[in-house]
Amino acid sequence: MEVLSTIFNVALIVATIRTTAPILLVALGGSFTTKAGIFNIGLEGQMLIAAFFAVLGSIWTGSSLGGLVIGVAAALVFALVFAVLVISFRANEVVVGLALNILAGGMTISLMKAIFGTRGSIVGRGIVGLPKVQIPGARDILGPYAQLISGYTPLIYVAFIAVPLLILIYGRTRLGLYIRVVGEKPEAAEALGISIAKVRYTAALLCGLLAGLAGAHMSLGYITMFTENMSSGRGFMAVAILIFSGGDPWRVLAGCLLFGFADALSLRLQTFGFPSYLVLAVPYTVALTALFALSWKARPKLIRETIETMQRALSVHPAKSETPDTRSNRS
Amino acid sequence: MKTALLPDGLTRTLAGQVLAFAVALSLGAVIILLIDENPVTVFMTLMRGAFGDAEKIAGTLLQTTPILICGIAACIGLRGGMFNVGIEGQLFLGGFAAAWVGFAFALPPVLHVVVAIACAILAGAAWVAIPAFFRVRYGTNEVVSTILANYIAILLTSYFTIFLFKRPGGWSETPPILATAYLPELFSFSRLNVGLLIGLFLAIATAVFFRWASTGYGVTMVGSAPKFAEYGGINVRKVGFGVLLASGAVGGLAGGVETLGVHHRFMEGFAPGFGFDGLIAALLANGSPIGTIFTALFFGALRAGSLLLEVDTTASREIITVIQALIILAVSADLMMRRRGDRTGERRWKF
Repeated sequence: MEVLSTIFNVALIVATIRTTAPILLVALGGSFTTKAGIFNIGLEGQMLIAAFFAVLGSIWTGSSLGGLVIGVAAALVFALVFAVLVISFRANEVVVGLALNILAGGMTISLMKAIFGTRGSIVGRGIVGLPKVQIPGARDILGPYAQLISGYTPLIYVAFIAVPLLILIYGRTRLGLYIRVVGEKPEAAEALGISIAKVRYTAALLCGLLAGLAGAHMSLGYITMFTENMSSGRGFMAVAILIFSGGDPWRVLAGCLLFGFADALSLRLQTFGFPSYLVLAVPYTVALTALFALSWKARPKLIRETIETMQRALSVHPAKSETPDTRSNRS
Repeated sequence: MKTALLPDGLTRTLAGQVLAFAVALSLGAVIILLIDENPVTVFMTLMRGAFGDAEKIAGTLLQTTPILICGIAACIGLRGGMFNVGIEGQLFLGGFAAAWVGFAFALPPVLHVVVAIACAILAGAAWVAIPAFFRVRYGTNEVVSTILANYIAILLTSYFTIFLFKRPGGWSETPPILATAYLPELFSFSRLNVGLLIGLFLAIATAVFFRWASTGYGVTMVGSAPKFAEYGGINVRKVGFGVLLASGAVGGLAGGVETLGVHHRFMEGFAPGFGFDGLIAALLANGSPIGTIFTALFFGALRAGSLLLEVDTTASREIITVIQALIILAVSADLMMRRRGDRTGERRWKF
């Protein structure tokens, strides 16, 4: 009995890691735009279009890598359109993001009908899924726990490695510093001679890259198929995570693990005969509750920071060290 | 040309809109070519499907009705500075509430409709109340919270329909509503009903409210210049909450009209995308309720035309979604606008 419960727990953790990865990838992508001061609601559409073109690419090229590249390219095109409209044409972010989401939904269905002559979903037809990485020796050392670290698709490792990588980028590189300055104090960035547009374009394209990987993982990862609107709100959940995490990679990871767990648990509950509609609503409810709960908790901090800022603005002797660099490092 | 009679800004705005439409339609044509169809054929089929004969025109108006009401809901939100993206969810809950009153209670004819519509309105307002509360009290982004609420609303209504109120032997739908709760139909040859008149009345009433009522002016100010409104003595939070609640109520009304007037029952996925179409129509009309009548008509025509498109050509009806999205993208870019040199200033899109 004890063994059974252990395996059950391990399986649940493995499922959590699997469901966390795509949302983690897309949320980390959104972290770039969030830090650069762009509210990117178009993550959903970028994921969806990448998922579709990844399937298409894997059929055309006959390899999962080809699918991955084409899927990411499609997401980058969407990210570029978003960037051009929002940054260069200064259109409203929410409007452009929502329109791109709608465009992705309509375009994937239209193209699916035109290319495959079907509605609903594409299954089989020579789609090549991503390979599973078996870490050599893992089974010998960890025994039944080996599946915790071995046997995932490469993108899952990429997702989790990206978390410390992003921290390094934000904390240790010029690009990361520029992104944060542009997001937190655009005036200061302008005064320093940083091209805000260039930095925001870079952030938007990096976001497209990661969202594309997330989308490709959706359709080529554990399920090798494309379904109409298969991103089903994952991109919006990522935006919810970004709002309460402020784009900080560790907090993004924590939020994504929460949703991954909710997702994995809901799949499990389905097998126990709970009504599937209610079970499917669990991740959305968790996202919404977390969004509300954390915005409620963040309130005192917000007031504190506002008071601090006002004191600084009103003080006769502004602190000498208040350059953008130190300001942004503090947070 | 009468351009000289119009103020300079308006001329530029109109020219910009026309240019945006042209760009969007040519991009749409390219995409139609990509899926191996002739853009001219597609366009003519759409027109024939939308305005071919009296029945087709009635069909267009039938599709226009929910888009118009949802568009008004979005307009109310936009004018008050709130992006209510959750109209879709409010529509579903409103539709279910109206259907429930319609089949579960036996009431006299007119009263039945009134009670069902009232329940739909209440359901819509109640569904948006929680996101609205957190928006005005704690500043929780309403775009994301209402989008997530959409998914929950759709799954919840599906659950109600299939697990609690399924019609025996039926296919994921509730029992039909009683005839006393039917909205009266306008013509004998179509399901077009008084819902359209409700929508038109609502559009005019909203326009009048924003144009002449002092409360309406206050709401517009809260939307476009919240600081100014606050110094003017308006309770910005209260107004914001009221705006979202009103927007949700109208969204619920749209659902009620759709179930009582068209389907006469609640089905799973009964009104796909009307909420989003309404939001797009309102955005395209720049938050003007009267303008929304025309944009809603345009989208209604596209929807009605797309039904014939799917029959007559191999193109999928979702191609109109692509065209709609392209139009919004082109309009939002506002190609004619003179842009300021700096890149840090405030964002555009004000009403």
